[in-house]
Amino acid sequence: MNNKLLSLIRTDLNITFGLSSIAYNLKNKKKLLPMAMIGLAIISLLPSYLLMIRALGSFYDAFRQIGQQSYFLHVGIMSAQMIVFVLGMMYVMSKYYFSNDLPQLVPLPIKPSQIVGSKFVSLMVSEYLTSLPIILPFIVIYGRGGNEGLPYWIMSLITVVTLPILPLVLASVLIMVFMKYTNIKSKKDLIRVISAVFFIIFIIFVQIKINQLTSQNLMESESFMFNLARDANLLLNQIGIAFPTAMWGALALSNGFSPSGILYILLFAGTGVVGYVLMILLAERIFFDGLIGNIEVSARKGRGRTGDSAGRIRAGNPIITMAKKELLMIFKTPVYLMNSVGGVIILPVLLAISMLTGGEAYEPMKDMIMENREVLVLGSIGIIASFGILNSLGATTFSREGTNMWIQRTLPIRPKVQIVGRTLSSISLQVLGGLLLVGGIYFIVPLRIHEVIIILLFGVCASIPLTMIGMAVDILRPMTGWTNPQQAMKQNLNVIISMAIGTLFIFGAGFLGYILLPNYGIWTILGVYAVIIVTATGLLYKLLENMISSKFINME
Amino acid sequence: MLKIEGLVKSYNKGEIRAVDNIGLEVRDGEIFGFLGPNGAGKTTTIKMIVGLLRPDEGEILLDGINVWEDPMKAKSMISYVPDNPEIYDRLRGIEYLNFIGDMYGIPTEERNEKAMQLTKTFNIEDSLDDIISSYSHGMKQKLVLTAALMSNPDLFILDEPMVGLDPKSAFNLKEIMRTMCNEGKSVFFSTHVMEVAEKLCDRIAIINKGKIIAMGTMEELRKTAQEKESLENIFLELTENE
Repeated sequence: MNNKLLSLIRTDLNITFGLSSIAYNLKNKKKLLPMAMIGLAIISLLPSYLLMIRALGSFYDAFRQIGQQSYFLHVGIMSAQMIVFVLGMMYVMSKYYFSNDLPQLVPLPIKPSQIVGSKFVSLMVSEYLTSLPIILPFIVIYGRGGNEGLPYWIMSLITVVTLPILPLVLASVLIMVFMKYTNIKSKKDLIRVISAVFFIIFIIFVQIKINQLTSQNLMESESFMFNLARDANLLLNQIGIAFPTAMWGALALSNGFSPSGILYILLFAGTGVVGYVLMILLAERIFFDGLIGNIEVSARKGRGRTGDSAGRIRAGNPIITMAKKELLMIFKTPVYLMNSVGGVIILPVLLAISMLTGGEAYEPMKDMIMENREVLVLGSIGIIASFGILNSLGATTFSREGTNMWIQRTLPIRPKVQIVGRTLSSISLQVLGGLLLVGGIYFIVPLRIHEVIIILLFGVCASIPLTMIGMAVDILRPMTGWTNPQQAMKQNLNVIISMAIGTLFIFGAGFLGYILLPNYGIWTILGVYAVIIVTATGLLYKLLENMISSKFINME
Repeated sequence: MLKIEGLVKSYNKGEIRAVDNIGLEVRDGEIFGFLGPNGAGKTTTIKMIVGLLRPDEGEILLDGINVWEDPMKAKSMISYVPDNPEIYDRLRGIEYLNFIGDMYGIPTEERNEKAMQLTKTFNIEDSLDDIISSYSHGMKQKLVLTAALMSNPDLFILDEPMVGLDPKSAFNLKEIMRTMCNEGKSVFFSTHVMEVAEKLCDRIAIINKGKIIAMGTMEELRKTAQEKESLENIFLELTENE
């Protein structure tokens, strides 16, 4: 590895993970509270993670019953690789083509392959954060279950280290080719968003397949885990064609230091390394084709509508202007659009499609819903409310300002304009998600008009305090130092923190509804919810008002 | 117009004093130049005036209004142009102007008239429909200048405003500054270009290592330095002595 590449990798890792700034903050004892909060947020996810590991234990037992333990490892490696691949597609797009450092890197005397190589390594380190929590339980459960010796653990280490290489190589190649051929002047953003939507639909399709498999097994509840294990094998064989290396990884682990074990680990790690080399060669040829066009922005340069401009410079309500500006920025930044709109669209679409394609498996559920319409109404309100958190807009609203934060801080903008304007932009997405949800439900269970109104009204109103929770978290620790917009949304811990708080809020309200419903009926519950929503909104508004006033002044 | 007293800003728990107890006054109708070598504390001072950095000590008053106690009122009197025009790249020029206009609450007619006149002066009127990321550095600078001037500020603050501007636009900007002062408004700007400061400014302050080492009209500055030919010589002499 040459010095340039090493230096690029070092710098990229430093920027991506903010190493220097963390060290600086620790040394100067700055921002210790936010850092402690990050720790707390991670710890709060542990209980659900432990539950997942327990379920995996039963899954392993089922594979063991049919004498196919190695498939258990196969499932693990494949799941980790699939997730690395899916997330990798998004990360690669944003990191290779939309990072802020690219305009500085391109003019430097470095090869395209060095830029891609360094970004690849940095992405791989990020992907360990995704792959390790998935693969480690599989490896530990298998190793302990079969009392495996040292060779197994050594093989595991090699597998874990090399696991993300191939899926990331595949993602890199696909995105580089995609960017090269979609680099069509003014339409490229549109083409890319449409492609992303198709990609999301593909993911939904896979999700539905898995859903069907699970629901069929649920119907034959006698030996759920056994059936699931059996069907998972079939599914693996189908999807496995895409990732044959997962099979090699599993076989390497189950054969240990035997000649076949060593052959399989060489195949597993070797394909990754060979893939990396080929990808780098490809990058040298095509990376700049997609990138340079991406940095270019089409402009009419002097052929604009001079006459029209005069009429279009006009005063507007600052709150609406703030909301409009937020929405414009979201819709014109593909990464923001995918994350925010994706968050509110996927759930209703998934729900509707899986209900429609679930066949008989969902009949009892449909009947149950028809008999408990109040639960349906309350549940739908909960889902629309959750969009306030799921679209990530509130929790990243100030972070997304990035280096433009100076504009907001030097203008005479009242906190009211900041709060209401930014909330409004998020609400418009909640309304969109709400309409889709109601449409989806209507397709399965005909809703009455008053139910539609209640669901939309309460759902959207309940999403307001949830959006505000996100905003409060974000103003407390805005992440404005990002170098690519993906970081502002996907790598922003404010989203996770506000999700944790928001989930508590939604589950608390849901639990209250559950207790009240048998004795008091839906109208009382709606009355209680109205009081909660109004009070929470009022309190959060006051809190935000104070936080924005002081934080905008004290931020450095 | 602007009065600064005992302003201090330090970093690393007081180890580095970026701005060390400075005081100055910018009068109504005055163009005030703020000079100093790199890292002298110019941008830090400006950031404290416009509300981007909180001072450790000292007061910044705008017509008697403490900018840190009543920031809304103060900000509505100020317009600020930073040295690096980082603005919303994905908006169109016109969208950015409307956004800034709405935040200052500028009525349509006034905004229209100002924007048209300024964009014409800076020769960007045909690019207003383009996305800002397609602008050059200089065009972004001109858009930020237009947006800042649209609100007709009482105090116009600029950090290195001439960097990136073509000679004609730089000339036009100087004309605008002079016109503003004739109307009783004030301009406060930092610069490295001695010639601009010498010809344009009514009064000048030279800052070095966080301290103001000289302040006054060109005549007064000449008296303090041995070399009296140009501001450049005065500047070099004063900053070398420190």
